[in-house]
Amino acid sequence: MEGREIGWAMVEGIIAGLKPSVKEEAIDFDKIFVRYNVLEEEKKLGLKPEELVKDIMPKDEPWKTIAYAVFKGDAKTALEETKKALEKFPPKEIVDKGLAPGMHAVSKLYDDGIYYLPQVMLSADAMSAAVQFIEQKVGAGKVEKKGKVVMHVAEGDIHDLGKNLAKVFLVADGWEVIDLGRDVPVDEVVKAVEKHKPVMVTGTALMTTTMTAFPKIAKKLIEKGIKIPFICGGGAVNEDFVNTFELGVIAKKAHQAPKFAEAAKKGISWSDLRAKWHEIAPA
Amino acid sequence: MVVRRYTSMAYKNPDDIVFGKAVYPVYERFGVPIGAGFVVPEIKVAPKPGSEKDLETFVKHHKEFTEEILKLCLQLGFNYIMIEQEHVFQQTYNPNYAYETAHAQVELAEKYYNEYGIGVTIRHTIGDIRKAEAEGGLRESDLTKRMFESFEQAAAAGVGDLAIETLGGKEVVDYAVARGDIKGVLFGIGVCGSEDMAWTWPQIVKIANKYGTIPAGDTNCSGANTVMFLAGGLMDREVSHTMAALARAIAGARSLVAVEAGARGPLKDCGYENPIIKAITGVPVCIECTSICACAHIDVMGNLNRAIGDVYSNESVEYHQEFGGSTAEVWTAVTGNAAALSNTALQAKQEKILRDLLTYSDMYRDPQGLILSYPNAYRIGKVITQYGKDPYLRAKYAAIEAGNIILEAAEAKKLKLSRWELETLNKAMETLKALPDDADKFIDDCLKEYANVPYFNPKNYGW
Ligand code: B12
Repeated sequence: MEGREIGWAMVEGIIAGLKPSVKEEAIDFDKIFVRYNVLEEEKKLGLKPEELVKDIMPKDEPWKTIAYAVFKGDAKTALEETKKALEKFPPKEIVDKGLAPGMHAVSKLYDDGIYYLPQVMLSADAMSAAVQFIEQKVGAGKVEKKGKVVMHVAEGDIHDLGKNLAKVFLVADGWEVIDLGRDVPVDEVVKAVEKHKPVMVTGTALMTTTMTAFPKIAKKLIEKGIKIPFICGGGAVNEDFVNTFELGVIAKKAHQAPKFAEAAKKGISWSDLRAKWHEIAPA
Repeated sequence: MVVRRYTSMAYKNPDDIVFGKAVYPVYERFGVPIGAGFVVPEIKVAPKPGSEKDLETFVKHHKEFTEEILKLCLQLGFNYIMIEQEHVFQQTYNPNYAYETAHAQVELAEKYYNEYGIGVTIRHTIGDIRKAEAEGGLRESDLTKRMFESFEQAAAAGVGDLAIETLGGKEVVDYAVARGDIKGVLFGIGVCGSEDMAWTWPQIVKIANKYGTIPAGDTNCSGANTVMFLAGGLMDREVSHTMAALARAIAGARSLVAVEAGARGPLKDCGYENPIIKAITGVPVCIECTSICACAHIDVMGNLNRAIGDVYSNESVEYHQEFGGSTAEVWTAVTGNAAALSNTALQAKQEKILRDLLTYSDMYRDPQGLILSYPNAYRIGKVITQYGKDPYLRAKYAAIEAGNIILEAAEAKKLKLSRWELETLNKAMETLKALPDDADKFIDDCLKEYANVPYFNPKNYGW
């Protein structure tokens, strides 16, 4: 690359004559900004992800192979090994001893700031493929789930990325998600909650004109005597707003979802969750 | 649908690309020249929540903040202003809302132009309210009809120009990006997105021409901006910033379709890919970046696109009061003053110095800024025109060129990449280079691979 100035770039011939009006050499870019992500990563360079989760991963076969397949996001191996295991072991054991530990390890590394979202997604896909296969074989409902969660995006709103992320974290953690989709009318949410009796219901809204559906949902749930936590996320939603209506608890990051569900299942009330989410489900 | 394809560059030398000047300036109603030697400020206000409850309240609110904006422009001495209305759902869904709000704003624009000589233009950005899963899909549903009807109504009310943020391919991008899957991003933005625009845009151009208004442009908000958002700041760990840069280059190949179908600019503000398209086509562009649009969102490109933009936008701000006035006034002051600085540089013939300072302030902060810096945007544009006839190929090679630019800058130690950024880039480059050069083959393969993506339906793209 000799003689070619990088950046001011250079497809030979076309830009040969380009001379910026400001001299790049004169600028010390370190005095303008710092790429903190690069520095942060350097701090963690010595860490070996597999070492860090060694203790939660199974040591015996076939669990080890299954768990590592999920851990690496290798759906093909996860599925094949699950098929084989299903000939000898009950579904619950496969989930508890093989699939779940692999997923748990990935989530932990993500929570600890070592892994990145795509790694979680691919592991979750691998786990889902295996669980779906098991359900097909033994019938849905036979694979024990931690509990149910009803999720939706507010009426009039199609911004569903945040909800979808939170769903991945929940499914991966072993929850049954009733996903009502996006642009969901208030009454449909209320009906689904009545029908499925989840441990909690979640809502996502990214527009100030759509988040107004949340207090309406909360009011109707209370009228029906349902007092489960209503976890509210999405760009437009802030804590002040969520605290104006009963049941509402603010969520800032998708990975909080399983912790909220865990707490709700334990019977922690919405008001306690609202007061203590910083400790119970830190963002 | 027939659209022309770009196979050569409007700019012969990237050094000629600069803010406030375009090869093909646009002259909008009520005295606003765009890309003709001036930078024009733009202001966009999202109506107050609740104001949409009935037509009367809604129109009254639009009138009020439009007039506030115009009065402030007089107070601060601005020559020109573009007022954009990005439709909320109700405004497109009910075409009479589109007409009445546009009509009220156009009347005010005309009044201030006649009384004070200030150049005012009104842009309406019609909401792409179509839904992939609706009955009739993207092309035949009731929502689709309402969308085009709103274009008609806004045009009939006399707006200066029309824009949209089409969302073809978004369901595939949503799915792929969270998985770090560059192939799905390429398919979603580069193929589905381009295909949907080639269907939508000739119809928009036809409506605009019928009413003598300007068909302005599109943006890949639904694709590359979604990726940019998930990529977030330097400390976020959702999507790698090198992936976001590749998605942006692909978006350059995709958003170009609007111009190929007859859009004349200024292209839509949130199209961060606009430097690439300006380099290819010579049409003027609206731009935003954090230094003038932090009210709406924050990204790692603080000043960058001001270097080449012809209209400076705040992207959007919800209407409420600040210490300095209403947000409509405060952000008019911000974009107006940013434009004044650039206009001073133009008058003093120092514009290239300011352009380069703006560029350097972001060029090595992030891979996304690097590839959008005008010389690099030019390089990507060049590759797009080289493969111009094939929407898939030009998107693929745009991404590869962006990857090359990043790798060169990293090798020269000008851009510092984290290991994750480098690893994801290397992996994406490998995937891209292994893809076939035959578009049909690629599409067939993707139709199988992404068949189960939520909301994805090949019919929406004519397959
Ligand atoms: C991407 C995007 C889109 C995409 C959506 C893609 C999709 N599938 O979701 C597209 C292009 C389709 C789109 C369309 C529109 N958009 Co939009 N969009 C955005 C953008 C740029 C980013 C939003 C995003 O996805 N962020 C990333 C996700 C992951 O964040 P998130 O959902 O907030 O989730 C996080 C947390 O909130 C939390 N979370 C969320 N839910 C849950 C749930 C649980 C249980 C938990 C635990 C956590 C949790 O976890 C996530 C982080 O880990 C924002 C800009 C902004 N500043 O937010 C505008 C924005 C939201 N859009 C806006 C607008 C106006 C629109 C349109 C009306 C534009 C138009 N005229 O067509 C349409 C809306 C159509 C409709 N009816 O909804 C405005 C809203 C303004 C307002 N009045 O409130 C914004 C703010 C842009 C702006 N500055 O003007 N948009």
